[in-house]
Amino acid sequence: MTRRSRFRSGFSLVFWREIGWLRRRPFLLALTVATPLGLMALLTAIFSAGLATKLPIGVLDLDGSDLSRSIVRMVDATPDAAVASRVADLSEGRTQILSGEIKGLLLLPRNLERDVLSGRRPEVVFFYNTQTMTAGNLVVRGINAAVPAAAAGIRISLRTAQGEPIEAAQHALTPIPVQTHALFNPTLNYVHFLLAALLPSILQIIVVTTSSYSVGLDVETSHRLRILRRLGGGLWSAMAGKLAPYTLLFLTVLCLSDAVLFDVFGLPLRGSGGLLLLAGVLFILACQLFGALLALVLRPMATAVSIGTLLMAPAFGFMGIGFPQHGMSWFARGFGSFLPGTWYLTARIDQTIRGAPFDLSVKPVLILLAMVMALAVLVALKLESIRAVAARSQRALGLTERMA
Amino acid sequence: MSWILAVFSSEFRRIFALRPAFSVLVAGAAVYAVFYPQPYLNEALRDVPIAVVDRDGTSSSRELARRIDATGDVAVAMVLPDLASAEREVYARRIYGVLFIPQYFERDLLHDRPSPIGLYADASYFLLYQRVSAGVSAVARALGVEVESARLVAMGVEPSLASAASDPMPLTAEPLFNPQGGYATYLLPAAFVLILQQTLLIGVGLLGTLPATTSVLEGAYRRPFATVLGKCLAYLAFEALLLPVYMIVLPYLYGIPRLGSIADVLVFAVPFVLAVGALGMVIAAVFRTPLFVQLASAAIGMPFFFLAGFAWPADAMPEPIRAVALFVPSTSAIDGFVRLSQLGASMREVRGEFLTLWGLAFLYGAIAVLIEARRRGAAGDPLPAARGPLEVDQRAG
Repeated sequence: MTRRSRFRSGFSLVFWREIGWLRRRPFLLALTVATPLGLMALLTAIFSAGLATKLPIGVLDLDGSDLSRSIVRMVDATPDAAVASRVADLSEGRTQILSGEIKGLLLLPRNLERDVLSGRRPEVVFFYNTQTMTAGNLVVRGINAAVPAAAAGIRISLRTAQGEPIEAAQHALTPIPVQTHALFNPTLNYVHFLLAALLPSILQIIVVTTSSYSVGLDVETSHRLRILRRLGGGLWSAMAGKLAPYTLLFLTVLCLSDAVLFDVFGLPLRGSGGLLLLAGVLFILACQLFGALLALVLRPMATAVSIGTLLMAPAFGFMGIGFPQHGMSWFARGFGSFLPGTWYLTARIDQTIRGAPFDLSVKPVLILLAMVMALAVLVALKLESIRAVAARSQRALGLTERMA
Repeated sequence: MSWILAVFSSEFRRIFALRPAFSVLVAGAAVYAVFYPQPYLNEALRDVPIAVVDRDGTSSSRELARRIDATGDVAVAMVLPDLASAEREVYARRIYGVLFIPQYFERDLLHDRPSPIGLYADASYFLLYQRVSAGVSAVARALGVEVESARLVAMGVEPSLASAASDPMPLTAEPLFNPQGGYATYLLPAAFVLILQQTLLIGVGLLGTLPATTSVLEGAYRRPFATVLGKCLAYLAFEALLLPVYMIVLPYLYGIPRLGSIADVLVFAVPFVLAVGALGMVIAAVFRTPLFVQLASAAIGMPFFFLAGFAWPADAMPEPIRAVALFVPSTSAIDGFVRLSQLGASMREVRGEFLTLWGLAFLYGAIAVLIEARRRGAAGDPLPAARGPLEVDQRAG
């Protein structure tokens, strides 16, 4: 048999043995397929609205004038906020904020209309809850749009009262208007921003821990490792055959979740689908090899699984999606750059919403490739050293037997 | 009663004696306390780099760019000749926004015409987008008010009236509770609750699947209720040590402001710990081996966090999801703890969450009692851990 055909037959032996294991062990299959799909479905359902609209706010209208009523109407008409309650005083508003019924309270002071028209510049105050950041930022955006719009009407009438033609008055309202373009995600859709990044992060945890587990089953004792090597006709082909079925399973899971993102939620694919797929394969391989390395280095296997969980469960924060890497300390940024997910999400954002030009989007893919190669070398070195130790101890055993 | 005490003291000792349980409940909690907050410690993004494409090249356009650079939000990292070269820098992630000042910016301003500027802000990272757009808009607005008042004064309007005409009804947006909008202040109080839940859930799951002490095993099937109660009290005693560290000491060390009373937080914690402890026992019965408990719960923390309606408002979730979310203790716990400690709410204002947690504690407690009664009653196989579907050998300590 040539070297290559031995590799191939050993690979397929281990590969099919693993498929058989997966069929006989429903828990393993549930862990690799059902768990990630279930958790992804749950997250998808949570974010399915994509945009949070009409968040409840309260109004304390002490004026009760035409102006105050029109402000309330304009606030209610914004997509972000809805006037859910009218409170009688500040303490009632405070109670409603504290009990979570409303996310903010708009205070329209007494004599608002009279003071505005006489140029006394009365202040309109909006109290909002910034402890829950997303909701707080959204309602304040609605208020920031509605109240100045109401003020604009007054400014025009103040100017026309000065004898300025209405058209000139309208022009003069905002001397420096800012035309803001939200690049890559114009509607600020949370599905495209957050959910699209959360799903691979779930997969990262699951791939690392289940790889530790499945590889751990074969390498926990040197006896089992010997069986695997014999079966695979060498450590390399055995390890490749061991990991390959899971690569295919995880890739299927990733493709399924991406299909939902692309087809149901309209995630754009502005870059190259091929590059995205390549990055996905490398990401899964890197996570698998990392899990395998943990299983080889840490015994018993339960320790490998818990260390894998400990490192990967909080990884999302380090990958710089919610709080970007720009604001992180060197430690957090450094740890983040050792996570395959950081580079996969970079490549993913580049190829989906950003549509980055090819020459600017190969870097994260190359880093993933380097990670895969480095981890493969480490796994191989560790396997060789385990074999060397085993062989030495066997020789020593043989020696003592002969001496006896 | 003495049986409850016996179970209590045996279970409390197992937390520290069994290595897998200890490493999750004590070592894991300690590592997370330091490790988890790391990305957020700077609280806010500062000086987000943007580029300026200045087609006007006048003193007014340079003044605008200078003022924008002077804000804490953004920093002008490069001045570029055209939008195409700026676009490449955005793709390369060297800048996160481009400010475009068109030709005749100054001339239009001087001729009392609106003089628009363009801002292209990278919305692939929302926090960066918010920083860039807020920073630039604030400067443009402030400069606009100055320009408008100056124009009105030039028209012969009194200066006091001029400022009223340009801003007749100033809006003050007053952020409550997290006035600096700090990210750590926002995230950590909620995340700490989740970490407490996950460590306790996995820890109890491990304790329930690792081999039990024989003396406790012998009497357990006759007293399922007392057994469950004794264990729950042991978890409560353990969390009485850990929870104050997470809910009070750590926020203090990380400089997170706290408005609420410590006593309320501790009272609220009782049903939370009981609900999570009982749920952990149910999980132990479902997964049956320590390894499976770990594998099955590894990735579930993240969905639990988003289910809580903290990072993503519950108002935007589908109704069935909100119903399911109530069965996870962290949903009510995050909401209640955050409002108590960060917003300074009273127990009355978190009554709904408090009662929900008691409900969950009784629900999962009852299920745990049933499981205990059935499992021990089934007899013949007193070691639940040995029935795992795989030939995984158990390691206790």
